[in-house]
Amino acid sequence: MIEPSLALYGDAYARVDAHIQDLLDVTGVRYGLLVDRKGFVLSHKEALWAPRPPALDSVATLVASNAAATAALANMLGERTFSEQIHQGENGTLYVESVGDQALLTLIFDASVPLGKVKVYARKTVAQLAAILEELKDIPEMQLNGDFSAGATALLDDLLG
Amino acid sequence: MSTINFAAREINCKIVYYGPGMSGKTTNLKQVFARVPGHLRGEMVSLATEDERTLFFDFLPLDLGSVQGFKTRFHLYTVPGQVFYNASRKLILRGVDGIVFVADSAPNRLRANAESMRNLRENLAEHGINVRDVPIVLQVNKRDLPDALPTSMIRAVIDPRGELQLFEAMSDKGVGVFETLKTVSRLVLERLSQTK
Repeated sequence: MIEPSLALYGDAYARVDAHIQDLLDVTGVRYGLLVDRKGFVLSHKEALWAPRPPALDSVATLVASNAAATAALANMLGERTFSEQIHQGENGTLYVESVGDQALLTLIFDASVPLGKVKVYARKTVAQLAAILEELKDIPEMQLNGDFSAGATALLDDLLG
Repeated sequence: MSTINFAAREINCKIVYYGPGMSGKTTNLKQVFARVPGHLRGEMVSLATEDERTLFFDFLPLDLGSVQGFKTRFHLYTVPGQVFYNASRKLILRGVDGIVFVADSAPNRLRANAESMRNLRENLAEHGINVRDVPIVLQVNKRDLPDALPTSMIRAVIDPRGELQLFEAMSDKGVGVFETLKTVSRLVLERLSQTK
């Protein structure tokens, strides 16, 4: 095993979703994502009024890479970590905060949404999400059987010839 | 290992193309992007310098489809090959599930191939990964060079025990690109099913 997997199961997944949705409702944030440190989207919610989201795979990958680079910078500067990143543009803001050592809460919102308000509520959500991810550490890993490998290989043949 | 989201029923695997600078890692991804149907691939993200040398990484998501109800997806990355970008290479290896080592067939790149493989081993070790614990496929690229070295000579410096599956390629023409990707993907999927 290369790195512990981060697997969200039914109830935990629903609770993560609910917390992110609550955060969106109370702050007016447009998109909220929980991204693992490897750059995979674990959960995604968007406001009802939000337009079609950007490519979430790419957003997650860049956010995780950026966080990794920022963490490396922190270490070089003698810090354990920099726990949040804020990128502000003319029309919008990208806010990223660490959820423990495993994940990143990523919020995208318009310039009309006050950053301070987002930060206050995001802290609360981060604590809730971190508690859920902590619970998951004790759940035994589910197994995929050989049929999975065979089925996936057949799809590979279709895709790559 | 792969990120498995049982609730969303998604499995994501990370494959990294590694190798010396200018060996053709980005070209491999560009060929995959060009030849895979649009609905099965996402956007290709390239963080490159002005002269198109990879600065941080290239990224291409690839959808395999649904297997036993799990949406299965590969995330393909390249690393920057230049020696001085090692911090970036190390970051990109985080959570890797499979590696394609792209070697250059040019005689004057033999040493660079060897150094890049050594660098890969060192960087994996810093992540606590034994090089034997991750599926690796060797692609010997630029086989159409007039002075291309014999593959046996290249393997001798990169993989002296002959443990890796080897594919000859001309990535700029798309030759060997899919074969390499298919093999490393299959190895990753087999590993996924065997996880204890």
